[in-house]
Amino acid sequence: MFFHIVLERNMQLHPRHFGRNLRDNIVSKLMKDVEGTCSGRHGFVVAITGIENIGKGLIRDGTGFVTFPVKYQCVVFRPFKGEILEAVVTMVNKMGFFAEAGPVQIFVSNHLIPDDMEFQSGDMPNYTTSDGSVKIQKDSEVRLKIIGTRVDATEIFCIGTIKDDFLGVINDPAAA
Amino acid sequence: MSVEPFNKLVKLAARAFYDDITTKGDNQPKNGRSDNRGIAVVVLDALTRRQWVREEDLAKDLKLHSKQLRRTLRFFEEEKLVTRDHRRETAKGAKIFSAAVAATVDGQHPKDGDEKIKMHTHSYCCLDYAQIYDVVRYRLHRMKKKLKDELEDKNTVQEYICPNCSKRYNALDALRLISLVDEYFHCESCNGELVAESDKLVAQEGGDGDDNARRRRREKLKDMLQKMEVQLKPLMDQLARVKDLTVPEFGSLLAWEARASAASRAANGDSNGNDPSRSSQGGYSATPMPFLGDTKVVVEFTEPDGKGEDIKSIAESTGLKVLPPWMIKQGMNLTKEQRGDVKQETMMDGSLSAAETSDDKKSITGNDEKKILQDEYYKAYYAAILEAAAKQTEEMSNTQMSNSESSASSSRQVGIKSKRDEDEGDDDVGWEEAPVAGNNANENYKVNDLNVEADPIADDDDEDDVDWEEEVGTVSASIRQYSSSHLGCVVVMPYPDLKHGMVLTLLFPFWFQKVVPFEFFRSVKHVYKFNHFTYY
Ligand SMILES: [Zn+2]
Repeated sequence: MFFHIVLERNMQLHPRHFGRNLRDNIVSKLMKDVEGTCSGRHGFVVAITGIENIGKGLIRDGTGFVTFPVKYQCVVFRPFKGEILEAVVTMVNKMGFFAEAGPVQIFVSNHLIPDDMEFQSGDMPNYTTSDGSVKIQKDSEVRLKIIGTRVDATEIFCIGTIKDDFLGVINDPAAA
Repeated sequence: MSVEPFNKLVKLAARAFYDDITTKGDNQPKNGRSDNRGIAVVVLDALTRRQWVREEDLAKDLKLHSKQLRRTLRFFEEEKLVTRDHRRETAKGAKIFSAAVAATVDGQHPKDGDEKIKMHTHSYCCLDYAQIYDVVRYRLHRMKKKLKDELEDKNTVQEYICPNCSKRYNALDALRLISLVDEYFHCESCNGELVAESDKLVAQEGGDGDDNARRRRREKLKDMLQKMEVQLKPLMDQLARVKDLTVPEFGSLLAWEARASAASRAANGDSNGNDPSRSSQGGYSATPMPFLGDTKVVVEFTEPDGKGEDIKSIAESTGLKVLPPWMIKQGMNLTKEQRGDVKQETMMDGSLSAAETSDDKKSITGNDEKKILQDEYYKAYYAAILEAAAKQTEEMSNTQMSNSESSASSSRQVGIKSKRDEDEGDDDVGWEEAPVAGNNANENYKVNDLNVEADPIADDDDEDDVDWEEEVGTVSASIRQYSSSHLGCVVVMPYPDLKHGMVLTLLFPFWFQKVVPFEFFRSVKHVYKFNHFTYY
């Protein structure tokens, strides 16, 4: 799920960045540091959408670096158990398949793939129904439900299922 | 309109689900006297014999304390079995109701309330049969689904076990366990091939205590499912019986009251001073109570300035539903309206604003500029879609597209484009420059047409890749949005994985999301500064 939230971060800035463009420098450094990172608490920081406020800088003893407390608004993406996501399949193997929904990696194990889909090995491993009408292979887009998340301090990994109503392949790259 | 089958449904449901519900305050001690189990059933049964009823009267009839009754009713309101209505009224107003009751329930007489002008808040309640039917069905469905899911291990985390060292893993470890060599998971400590732990395996091995517990649980689940089928059979049968009947509908309190008094007047055929309908007229004008008619939903869009008008104009001008651009694929037979093209004229955008356009005000008004930005965005969007759909014919299709779609506004674009290049020098310029370099093959196109610029990316990969690395930072720094093709807005969010991005369509009251390959973002040339983000 996406959230638009306000976060705070202390930015350390080298004195060479001071001057007319101080604010811009802080903001661009913030974007570089924060965007694309993942925290277990808030999820993936997708994009910074605005700066709420940059506090007074504090000069560090000895180094001359200055710490600015920056409050910024950002869009974060945090997967939840029970959430339905659309994802792109990245790898298919005998144990199931891996998919990505943006920054999130999701594993769907073979017992959570509908029973009528069988694994077919080969140079393009895939799961296919007996009549061949539905096929999951690399680059397929699937709709899946998250049934478990592992949230570490800097990483989120999910496992999902496509064994439920309205889940499964939503577009087949081979057919397109 | 037969209420009887529905009443039976209510009674069955009450006994099935609400038999042991206690509704006591948290602070009350649990002793024998405050044990009010069964009251819920009594209240529901009483309600099946009434239509709209004043809660005070009901309390009196049931010899319950009104507080206790209210607590029970509030519970049923949350359970969606009962609708309630509250209003401030004079004693006279209350009498209107009593008259209405007298008309529907035999053996009750309007009591003579004192004629004080004091206002009291009275609460009324009534069974909502239509909703009860749905609620009970849904409840049964959820119960069954929950048991079945658990029985079929639908939502359990698959476990894996190493046959060599019997170390256990589960699916959440999957990322660490995949091997580059083959398609199996491998043990972290001994590199043995992991096997999925299935129930069959457990059964074979006889299992340790843990497995035994699991098997017992399965037995229990199966048992519960069976018991449920048996014990709730009367309820399910009643549901099936009720299925095709028309649901008794009492309407809102006011509507019901009016109907009831009209009926009684027709039956009595008289019109004395105490005629309920007449006094009801007086009652309404005397009480400052607002009319609580049908539910009206007012949708407020929190978009800035002109957005509201925008929505309206779209709704009026296009009868057809506008498809979000990412749903449009080549070969789809769509009208221009469905593609959202019409909005070039009708839209008046409020969401894209200041940051970029402010610099351009010198020669063009802000509004025009915004429109053009959006025109360009569409074209880029279509170009990207077409590109993916038909790579080999891309030159052809883009020629057609750019010729047909840009003819209207290309003359304006020329001026803007050159400006844009200067203005975006600080931040978003990476988008502009990469493709232009490889553009000489397309000289016959309008140089400033976006579709054309979107194309060459596929051709000159090497140069592009270099730029691309830089762009990622910039792109993820910005969110592009446009707001004209739907009610709501579209937010494009690139992911930092270099491969995908997310198109998030906020389309009131739904939202969609769509993962698109990053090629899509390459083809979007203008990075719109992100100013307003409305989320639900
Ligand atoms: Zn091992």
